[in-house]
Amino acid sequence: MATDPPLLEARDLVKEYDFGGETVHAVAGVSLTVQRGEFVAIMGASGSGKSTFMNLIGALDLPTRGQLLLDGTDLASLSSDELAAIRNRKIGFVFQQFNLLARTSAVDNVATPLIYAGLSATDRRERAAAKLSAMGLGDRLGHTPAKLSGGQQQRVAIARALVTDPLILLADEPTGALDSATSEEIMKLFCQLNDQGITVILVTHEPDIAQYAARRVLFRDGCVVEDEPVHDRRRAA
Amino acid sequence: MSLSRTVAGAMVNIGIALTALRTNLMRSILTALGVMIGVLAVVLAVAVGSGAQVSVENTINQLGSNMALVFPQPDTERDGPTRDVGKLTERDARTIERSVPGVTALAPQLRASIQLSIPARRVGTNGIAVTPGYATVTNSEIDNGRMIADADVQSAARVIVLGQTVATKLFGDSDPVGETVRVDKVPFRVVGVLTAKGSSLGNDNDDVALVPLSTGRQRFATSLAGPDDLALLFVGFDPAVDLNDAKRDLVRVLRDRYKVRDGDVQPFTVRTTEEFQEQSATVTGVFQAILVAIASISLLVGGIGIMNIMLVSVTERTREIGLRMALGARRRDIRNQFLVEAAVLCMIGGLLGLILAMIAASVFERVAEFPAPIGAPVAIGSILFSAVIGLLFGGYPAIRASRLSPIEALRSE
Repeated sequence: MATDPPLLEARDLVKEYDFGGETVHAVAGVSLTVQRGEFVAIMGASGSGKSTFMNLIGALDLPTRGQLLLDGTDLASLSSDELAAIRNRKIGFVFQQFNLLARTSAVDNVATPLIYAGLSATDRRERAAAKLSAMGLGDRLGHTPAKLSGGQQQRVAIARALVTDPLILLADEPTGALDSATSEEIMKLFCQLNDQGITVILVTHEPDIAQYAARRVLFRDGCVVEDEPVHDRRRAA
Repeated sequence: MSLSRTVAGAMVNIGIALTALRTNLMRSILTALGVMIGVLAVVLAVAVGSGAQVSVENTINQLGSNMALVFPQPDTERDGPTRDVGKLTERDARTIERSVPGVTALAPQLRASIQLSIPARRVGTNGIAVTPGYATVTNSEIDNGRMIADADVQSAARVIVLGQTVATKLFGDSDPVGETVRVDKVPFRVVGVLTAKGSSLGNDNDDVALVPLSTGRQRFATSLAGPDDLALLFVGFDPAVDLNDAKRDLVRVLRDRYKVRDGDVQPFTVRTTEEFQEQSATVTGVFQAILVAIASISLLVGGIGIMNIMLVSVTERTREIGLRMALGARRRDIRNQFLVEAAVLCMIGGLLGLILAMIAASVFERVAEFPAPIGAPVAIGSILFSAVIGLLFGGYPAIRASRLSPIEALRSE
């Protein structure tokens, strides 16, 4: 077990953008390691590079320089098809705006990643229905997003993120579009999932939300300026 | 294994496509309409073209099946000094009957436009002066009464056989046999009525009146010079005879009679029904190709409409594309999704176009009495062709969608 590589390891990670001849260092040399089972909150002001970092570890974008090892594989060396496979099998995304497909039932929304995993229609349905039931939405399988509350929509999105049994759950401001009671409910759900052994990486600018995590990483100007355990952690009641 | 995977993938994409098309129902209908009109035009063009082919074939078959036509016209197939006037006589016909193998019947003819009148009415028709052989060669049958007989020809009898159209125009429903009809003021006795042959290519085959050859020679105003000159000669052959051989024999016999030397132009022209068929097949083929080419323009416009709407659709659904990529869709998954959507849209339009074309063709057949057949290959072909249009014009938008960067797409509003 000791030879197991870290789940995620960034080494001198750099991402530069070119804006009309001016180079912007969105991520300017980040080294960071995340072990299996961690619950990390990535914080920082807008423009601090936290979202760019999130896109890099989500295999949505490639670094300009440096290494980014996910489960021992360097993402920088992969083709676009291989990156798609990584996003499909190893990463589960949860977005601020839920990003559910309109006019598509909850169960079909959850089953979408399984289409790209190549599962048969019956397998897709079964697994999607099971995940939705685990999120307490077993009686909402046929509902379209328009007929669900914000909290329910986000839980459908979480079920979709988890349906391929990924290594990491990446949540980008998951409570940004929710009221405080629902936010708390969703954060407790993340805590429960983390307790079940799922690695959670959360991007947020709200200190309250970050309090649910076990480790807090603060970004400023493309660099990590703080990386410490959360002391007075809020837990599921 | 990989095939079943492909089929499963296509089914998923068809499901996604139908959802997307339902979402913008009005827009989908309007776009499909463009393809529908294009397919309608192309299928109708093919149908009318095939109809023309069928119609021309019918016309030629009604002339008589295995037959050669001899005209007193210089053969224009070859270059060289032309003897301006053609020549064909009854004696030539008798020589052909004696010397050319396989001849079953001859129909020497004179032709003229004639006026028929009874006290109450007057009609113009095509007068043909014939011998009894005419009925055999042209497969003409008698509905009522009798055909022109040898005795009529020998005695230059003033008898006439009417085609159905002429009979109806002059006598309505009553029986014309035994009645008197004036041909340019000279009284003729109606001895028979021909069985209807119907019309082909707008040509009424029943608008004719037959008189004995000798009578016609006395009465018809023709420009023929000699006392036994013919306007036209049909030569019927045994069905077993090859028409190319028959034509060669026929030409040889006539060239001998007119002492035509090699390189000289012969004063007569010989055409077989087979040659007419080939010629008309070429002509109607060209006709059909032109029709289809013109109709294809509307299909092209429909295809451009598809491309336009797919580009709009890709732009509108950029966020969805980004999401699908984040969830693990590869570039080809996105590309296929939009290709299938364009193909489904086109096939719906194509199916509607085909149904409309079938309705239009059947109406056309009834109203214009012109065949416009839509065969199974055309029907299936039009649907498949619609799908190809979809893939072709949906290709660019689909590839554009697949090339989007996942984060850019996810960020779009």
